[in-house]
Amino acid sequence: MRPALSFALAQLRVTLRERETLFWFVLFPVLLFVLLVAIFGSLGQEGTIHFEVGFVNRDQAAGEAGLGRRIEGILEALSRPAQEGKEPLLHLHRPAGTENLDVFRAREEEAVRYGRHALLVVVPEGFSAGVLDALSSRPGVDPVKVQVFRRAGSSSSGFALLILKQVIAGVDQAVLASAGRFRPEEAVLAETTFLGSPAGTEVRYVDFLLPGLVLMAFFTAGLFGVPGAILFAREQRILRRYWVTPFSVPQFLAGFSVTHAIVCALQFTLLILVGRFALGAEVSFASPGAALFLVLASLTFLAFGFFVASLVQTGAAGMALANAINLPMTFLSGLYYQVGTLPGPLRVLLAVNPLSYLADGLRRVIGLQGAAAPLWLSVLVPILWIGFSLFVAGRRLSWDVGR
Amino acid sequence: MDENGLLLRVTDLRKSYGDVRAVDGVSFAVPRGTVFTLLGPNGAGKTTTLEILEGLREPDSGTIEVFGRSLRRVDRATKERMGVLLQEGSFEPYLKVKEVVALFASFFARPLPVKEVLERMELTEKQNALVRTLSGGQKQRLGVAVALVGDPELVFLDEPTTGLDPQARRNIWAIVHDLEEEKKTILLTTHYMEEAETLSDDVAILDHGAIIAQGSPRALALGLGQETVIEFALVGARPEDLRELEALGTGLSTHGEAVFLKTAAFTATMERLLAWSKARGVPLSGLVVRQPNLEDVFLSLTGRRLRE
Repeated sequence: MRPALSFALAQLRVTLRERETLFWFVLFPVLLFVLLVAIFGSLGQEGTIHFEVGFVNRDQAAGEAGLGRRIEGILEALSRPAQEGKEPLLHLHRPAGTENLDVFRAREEEAVRYGRHALLVVVPEGFSAGVLDALSSRPGVDPVKVQVFRRAGSSSSGFALLILKQVIAGVDQAVLASAGRFRPEEAVLAETTFLGSPAGTEVRYVDFLLPGLVLMAFFTAGLFGVPGAILFAREQRILRRYWVTPFSVPQFLAGFSVTHAIVCALQFTLLILVGRFALGAEVSFASPGAALFLVLASLTFLAFGFFVASLVQTGAAGMALANAINLPMTFLSGLYYQVGTLPGPLRVLLAVNPLSYLADGLRRVIGLQGAAAPLWLSVLVPILWIGFSLFVAGRRLSWDVGR
Repeated sequence: MDENGLLLRVTDLRKSYGDVRAVDGVSFAVPRGTVFTLLGPNGAGKTTTLEILEGLREPDSGTIEVFGRSLRRVDRATKERMGVLLQEGSFEPYLKVKEVVALFASFFARPLPVKEVLERMELTEKQNALVRTLSGGQKQRLGVAVALVGDPELVFLDEPTTGLDPQARRNIWAIVHDLEEEKKTILLTTHYMEEAETLSDDVAILDHGAIIAQGSPRALALGLGQETVIEFALVGARPEDLRELEALGTGLSTHGEAVFLKTAAFTATMERLLAWSKARGVPLSGLVVRQPNLEDVFLSLTGRRLRE
């Protein structure tokens, strides 16, 4: 154990003394955190103006009196492109002619729950009549409301809801005007239900971002730190100095893992401190579930680093490969923003990206959002990645420069 | 150690890389407390042989007996008793000198005190310097320090003075002499003839992966006969000049402009050589008279010089 710990201490010293390493592994995540919160913290999590919206109209009233139909008409208009060749604001999903409305609604709820669609709007049966009854102010009549289902913690859902509220407000004004009423209260009401969140509360961007950046920092340490250190040490023939002593590959790996864990702990501590005291983050990682996901993430990216190191021969090639992997993996993972509205082909990358599962699982166990995938899958997929990475690295990774 | 006092015995060691036979049936034995040198030009198979003995490579065939045990590949228990200075090998550039020595000390069960090793290698003043700031000689002394920190019985020094200035080279030689006085067993590789002659009890000369001569430096040189070598440079020598010169001694070889004339009757040959030079009007530049050395042994066996 002593050789492994001594090696870990030496590696840690090297990491902390190399300014470039220190910057990219420790300071960069903090700077990115501050930057992202400064830019997007008050605007929302993403800049998309394209939303998938499901719509069910159970209101039977037709013609001018059919409020459900009016809402649908406006949404229909929004689902047409404003200019030719431009993306429409909404993609409206409605049941096919013969489709059972309950089946369609259940499917759409799932789509919202798992982040594929931003919103589900249900106009209940008898809605038009209910609104008119409420307008007549007959006491004892409960107002009938449009039912809106959105995903907790999703900015896409939030933005789509804002649009829907504008739609409803427009219909509401028309109804009030036709009834000769101009009272301040609304006639057409909507009730929002959050899907996938036990709390059903909106998540602040800084809280949403913090776990993502913690994972990004761990990922960077694994993706760049592990292959960088191993390939450089192999190329510079530092490793062979070790192999002519009793120091063994398992001891090297143990020491290397300890260093990686310490670097991750350092990153985590700094991000938490900056998040909490400088940016006002309130999210708490003090739970066994969070600890499990943090350890799992650290191990996953450590193994992933060995995997990357096993694919190339030189440090330069290792860094090039890490760079090529880094961008798609982090941006198609949900670390920085919700990815529920990604187009289909990119969803495949999401489905195999361990980052997205770890981000989803970690956010779920710290109470930020409902799961986009079952929790067991958020644990299983990273474990499969660890197994796969170590298997490939075990077969391919060379510990010395051969002739 | 076996009953003959041998610390290391290598028998019919072979290692190929594709079609290249890097080590081709090498056998030798190293008694305890001696300095044994593998001498040969670059690519002769010295480093591959040493890397097999250090545990970095596995031989295709052959046996290694070290510390009285027969091994296919050098194991961890054996490495506990070995110290290695690699020909090619670096240290983490962002570690301090004392941290490197302490790190390697932690790999061994019974290491020497770090302070003691630093003092011995005259690295105390540099103990807080980062490796990246060291000179070539200091880095080599650090290499020797980590080779010795485990208090080894058997020390491998692979080309320990290559690339060093004369002063740094002599410092390393002094360290080797000290180790010999401490009865450490040393296996050295070099392509410097002078280094092998100065440091070695026994020398094995390697060429193309095989040992072509073996013995003490003196015995190997004496094997060429009780002759004197007259060495000089001859610019623009014609074939007939060389034929005439060859007749002056017992043997002649050339390497570029260098001429090596061997003689068993030095005075007579020297007189005739000077007369020939005067008669032909050909100056004998850089004339040196010396006894045969390992360079001559290698030259006579291969027709080439060690550092071609």
